[in-house]
Amino acid sequence: MQAKSKEKLADIVGQENFSDGIIDLVSYSSDASEHSIRPQAVVWPTNAEQVRDVVLLANELGFPLFPRGAGTGLSGMAVPRSDGVVMDLARMRRIIDICIEDRVAVVEPGVVYADLEKALAPHGYFYPPDPASGKVCTLGGNVATNAGGVKGAKYGTTKDYVLGLSLVLGDGREMRVGGRNIKSASGYDLAHLFVGSEGTLGVFTEIILKINPKPTATATALAIFDNLEDAGSAIIGVMSSGIVPSVLEILGRETLEAINQNTDLNLPEVDAMLLCETDGFTQAEADFQMARVVEQFQKNQARQVRQASGGEEVVELWKARKSAYAVLARLKPNFVLEDVTVPISQVVRMFKGVQDIAERNRVSIATFGHAGDGNLHPQVLWDATQPGETQRVEKAVDELFALAIKLGGTLTGEHGIGLSKAAYMGLEHGSVSMDMMRVLKRACDPNNILNPGKMALEG
Amino acid sequence: MSASAKLEIERSFRDQIGRCSRCGFCQAHCPVFGASLRPAVNARGKMLLLKEVLEGKLELSRELAESIFQCTTCASCSTNCPSGVQVPEIIKAARRDMAGLGTCHPAFVAMDQVLEQYPNIYAEEEPGDFDRPRNQRAEVVYFMGCVGQYREEEATEAALAVLDHLEVDYTLIDEVCCSGVLEDVGFGIKPVLAEKNLELILSTGARTLVTGCPYCFRTFNNKEVYAPIKQEGVKIVHLSQFLAGRDLGVRTDQVVTYHDPCDLGRHTGIYAEPRKTIRALAPNFVELPHHHADALCCGAGGGVRGAFAKNSLDMARRRLAEVEEVGAQVVLTECNSCAHNLSNAKLRAQKFRVLTTPQFILELLEQSQG
Repeated sequence: MQAKSKEKLADIVGQENFSDGIIDLVSYSSDASEHSIRPQAVVWPTNAEQVRDVVLLANELGFPLFPRGAGTGLSGMAVPRSDGVVMDLARMRRIIDICIEDRVAVVEPGVVYADLEKALAPHGYFYPPDPASGKVCTLGGNVATNAGGVKGAKYGTTKDYVLGLSLVLGDGREMRVGGRNIKSASGYDLAHLFVGSEGTLGVFTEIILKINPKPTATATALAIFDNLEDAGSAIIGVMSSGIVPSVLEILGRETLEAINQNTDLNLPEVDAMLLCETDGFTQAEADFQMARVVEQFQKNQARQVRQASGGEEVVELWKARKSAYAVLARLKPNFVLEDVTVPISQVVRMFKGVQDIAERNRVSIATFGHAGDGNLHPQVLWDATQPGETQRVEKAVDELFALAIKLGGTLTGEHGIGLSKAAYMGLEHGSVSMDMMRVLKRACDPNNILNPGKMALEG
Repeated sequence: MSASAKLEIERSFRDQIGRCSRCGFCQAHCPVFGASLRPAVNARGKMLLLKEVLEGKLELSRELAESIFQCTTCASCSTNCPSGVQVPEIIKAARRDMAGLGTCHPAFVAMDQVLEQYPNIYAEEEPGDFDRPRNQRAEVVYFMGCVGQYREEEATEAALAVLDHLEVDYTLIDEVCCSGVLEDVGFGIKPVLAEKNLELILSTGARTLVTGCPYCFRTFNNKEVYAPIKQEGVKIVHLSQFLAGRDLGVRTDQVVTYHDPCDLGRHTGIYAEPRKTIRALAPNFVELPHHHADALCCGAGGGVRGAFAKNSLDMARRRLAEVEEVGAQVVLTECNSCAHNLSNAKLRAQKFRVLTTPQFILELLEQSQG
């Protein structure tokens, strides 16, 4: 990139919001995935005009732009290219409006998930998707990746809360889609086209989110199972018992062992542990639902069921669950965390399939996930310095995706495609679907400026 | 790794640096990131840089100093790191490597040079005169520390007045800088200074060494060169521990909060004793939103105040915003360096006061005595 182009970038955002220093380039070379490429420069726009002007300049000079939130993504969505410029939106972090009457929050893309939570709390409201990285990830990143979390079964994912967006398209045109209405049947639902678009179509400058009243009571229970089949029957039993738990998590043996190594929780090291939370606006409501859950646990040969209603232990348990992947990452030098998702009835078939794949390919895979919405997190752990191990891992991952699709599932429940899964898009999406995605990409970003190389859109 | 590796980060921390899973969760805790919103100075950014150094993609050049030296070593990243990466230890090693390579940040080189020539970190010629016994035989030695002696004299005066009030048999010594901080910024403890402190402390015959500074406390406790203190049976305590549980006989209705210094809290685990004293003085005690192991750093540590003043002040201001948020009239701390930075950063419009606990005790004592 020529010095002159860099000068023009700095002119748009101001010198203090531009860098081509090595420390910044290295820090923006990767996200939480295994990919790493150093960009040419980084800009930190502070308003929508700057975003627009940078996109226009990129079109004029022909350099690619890589929008970025907190860089906590696990599939390389925010990883740049060596000829590109990273656009970090973290400095656009105003909460513009919280309107309880309209049931909406209006935010800039760089607002951290936890900061919105904190701002909503005094109103008795919350924004439910609850990604594990909620303390750091940004809402712009959440929308771009259609982020989910542990509460998917009851509360859905980001797409269920996006009402409207202001954005800059890849060609530099500004657009407002959707609005503050809880309902709208007006024209194509363009706002949702951008949810999960991974920064390939436009850059958000303002986001309108639906918010929910926050349940004031919860009940928590933990059940341990000596074999996976029983846990699987229990999951199906709970999810078809007439209530919907706010959380239903499954943790496999390797995950439990790793958590035990990192905490004082002393979890039982069994084949499967189910962790369940119900919520409501009275304790009786939460407890009533939990009684249904516990019934199903017991009916399906849980070796032990333990109930807790709040307190330190519950906090620690959730903290351990949310850090599971980073804790597992300690075990081997390399890891990849997948998020294949299958229909709920297939969760255990997938879980067992993962174990077979691990055994067959002689690789280590620890699994945990959101059983209540069919979203599993097989975490493949390996040491790339060991001869042949990387190849075995690649084969195992191929088989993992093939199995998920065979079971009627999807490549990714919440992490997105990015670089990591781009090669597998054809497994899930037919040629007409792929063609339609490419048509949409060209319509929004004719010069392929925004986040090129992701989602197999250039294939 | 191999003992012949040139860099300490390679010899001692290759595995640790590799353990960073790049999750980025440290961004929620790193005070320098909080002040700058710049991932290059967050713990993950630092680990990415060092990883590239170990992979031979990058030199430990001066260009890296802005990241590697911009760390208060507050340990909030390592305390919260799900992958168990001991970032502050890695950063200290990287700084030593950079000092060895001549790529150390100039402000940190200056710290080492000052302590070559002067017995204190501020290059002051005249020691403070607190008009108390010096180098006498006594039960207790009170060690003020450089900040206490040269920058926060009122805090030291108050600490001594409280000891007087309690009729403690203590002496000051002609103390010199413990020089522990040099190990954090790329250099080593000065043996000449350490030997002088050792000799002065031990020759008083004291059974207890009370430090006003949490950092000196850590140095005396943990550094090999100061091991003779404990070997001679001298107990090392921080002033907050020494005062905990003593009946001071004063109380106030003021709303008081407490800032946990990183060196006393996360690094040493002393959370209860300061609170015991403060709660007895001020029943209207409120915690800050971030407290105990989760406390925000004041921004002063690790040499950051001197080298990166703007971000250091911004960190302090984030902490002070929390004091406003809880509606406290007074924020107390047990570290003169924290008190110094927080006071410097306080805005005119902020009406609460920043004091050390001994300053607050003294104020209440004086009021009660009319």
